[in-house]
Amino acid sequence: MSSHLSRYRFSKRRTDRVAVFGWLVIALFALAAVFAGFLAPYDYAAQSRAEPSAPATRIHFNGLTPIIHPLRIDDALRRTYSEDTSVASPLRFFVRGYSYKLFGIIRTDLHLFGVGSTSGNAPRINLLGADQLGRDRFSRLLYAIRFSLIVASVGVLVASLVGILIGGVSGYAGRFVDTLLMGATDAMLALPTLILILGVRAAFPLELPITRAALLLLLIFALTGWAEMARLTRGLVLSLRQREFVVAAVALGVSEARVLFRHILPNILPSLRTQALLLLPTFLLAEVALSYLGVGLQEPEPSLGNMLTAASDLELLRSQPFSVLSPALAVLFFTLGVRLIGRSERT
Amino acid sequence: MMILVVSAVTFALLGFAGGDALTELRNNPQISEQTIERLRHVYGLDQPLPIRYWRWLSSAVTGDLGESTYFRVPVSALVWMRSVSTFQLGTAAFAIALALAVPLSLVGVRYNSTTIAAVIDLLILVTASTPRIVLALFALVISVRFASSAIDSSSAVLFWLAALALSAPLISVFLAQLHGELQRTMREDFIKLARAKGLSESAVIFRHAIRPALNPVLTIVGLSLGGVLGGSVIVESVLGRQGLGTLMVSAVRARDLPLVMGIVLFTSTAVWLGNALGELLQAVNDKRIRDLGF
Repeated sequence: MSSHLSRYRFSKRRTDRVAVFGWLVIALFALAAVFAGFLAPYDYAAQSRAEPSAPATRIHFNGLTPIIHPLRIDDALRRTYSEDTSVASPLRFFVRGYSYKLFGIIRTDLHLFGVGSTSGNAPRINLLGADQLGRDRFSRLLYAIRFSLIVASVGVLVASLVGILIGGVSGYAGRFVDTLLMGATDAMLALPTLILILGVRAAFPLELPITRAALLLLLIFALTGWAEMARLTRGLVLSLRQREFVVAAVALGVSEARVLFRHILPNILPSLRTQALLLLPTFLLAEVALSYLGVGLQEPEPSLGNMLTAASDLELLRSQPFSVLSPALAVLFFTLGVRLIGRSERT
Repeated sequence: MMILVVSAVTFALLGFAGGDALTELRNNPQISEQTIERLRHVYGLDQPLPIRYWRWLSSAVTGDLGESTYFRVPVSALVWMRSVSTFQLGTAAFAIALALAVPLSLVGVRYNSTTIAAVIDLLILVTASTPRIVLALFALVISVRFASSAIDSSSAVLFWLAALALSAPLISVFLAQLHGELQRTMREDFIKLARAKGLSESAVIFRHAIRPALNPVLTIVGLSLGGVLGGSVIVESVLGRQGLGTLMVSAVRARDLPLVMGIVLFTSTAVWLGNALGELLQAVNDKRIRDLGF
């Protein structure tokens, strides 16, 4: 999956527009991650036992005021609900709700939107419905995006550093070291990564708290994700080694490490940055896969993967496919955004 | 060699992390510490790591991968049994990808049309950016929408939906590689010569362009086997198929270390064989490689 895509190119103008769209998608995800607490109307773990698996709340308009009606359970077993239109609660912007820390520092209870009335039995607004414990899926999705993005980005950073180091040394040292390191890289690229990841995962206890789970994911990414970066770095280093400014630096007696890190590395950094960006969805998906399989981040903590386990409830999937699969759609958009950027960067 | 290193590293990781199938027994008040120690001795778990690895390896080369601590049956039998379903699914995925990529890129090059190039371009983008897990979930939605009753995991429709989900990244890689190679080859001098001889465009492509363009694609086919095996974990789990992928998941959840090791060994061997097969096909296709000593 690399340079051979570059020949399919649009005109420059269209490429730029496509890339802007990609960046927009990424920016949206970044905003969702940073402002998860502000955007989420409810705490991701807050349960509302009265409405398990409730469908997405319908928003009505009374004049210009958006209102919602509380839900009544029609059939507890089949989880069908209907709206109680005799009661109406207005939706408001900038309401007070549960307290959280903005940017992880400022404690506040301000939220972008919420139900205006503060009485105890005010209806809840679940933009994407509620899960089987009555937790707001929209709020959980925001926190899940935050967790997945943080872990994937740090993972890319760690794996890239490992890959750049291995590839740089391999390309610069040449001979035996090169053969050995590139052999390992080729093996790594060919092996069934997800099975290896699961193998590594098997070495650790099944249930982990959130920080341990994040650290474990990072370790797994560092162990299994460096190969593509290593191969790219090696190729770039090899081509730069012959250039005059590198030869000149070597002739001046500059140490090998200094040549590699001060003269070669800055020149290949833009290409490496693109590759790092392309790795982002790979790692995001690895996290999604592990959590989906029940060996990544565990409940009650939300992650894109463990939210998708709700899809195994086929009845629910049939009646609310969009809500249940919203984490999958988020993953899809993110991957598409990154691909669009990567494709225009390559041309 | 590669397989040796992979198995050793996995074994070491599993060993160093501590904990095995017997750790769970500690939580059971009815089983005394002595019993566990005796069991550890019976299974040879009290031995140091290198000795355990050596024992595992020497029996592995004879085809004995030990006994699954969770399923209580020999690992090799279990892995063989489950690999059949995964093999079928993987073959179907490869077939779908090739059946799409080969005709499309041939037609695209033959008529040199911008419309087909745009279609190929779009298809590459869509298949490259739709993750297997998303596709598999979509396939699940489709099947619950159209199935009247509970879904039947052995149905043919579900099988092909699963194969389609598994094949998406393959379609993008094969298509990009084959179309790209063909376009590059068509600019070569020997193609100009073939055209100058007065051959029809189709004859130029089939007699002169395909062979040289095929070799890089064969490499890719061999290399994508690992991705397919990894992807089968997801596709099988989502669509409820009993295969190697789901076996691996249950092994990890039950911390069934012999089974985990067995599957890792089996899949790495399969990948290695796949790459060797790819190289062999290249030699069949290209006389220059054959002359190098095949």
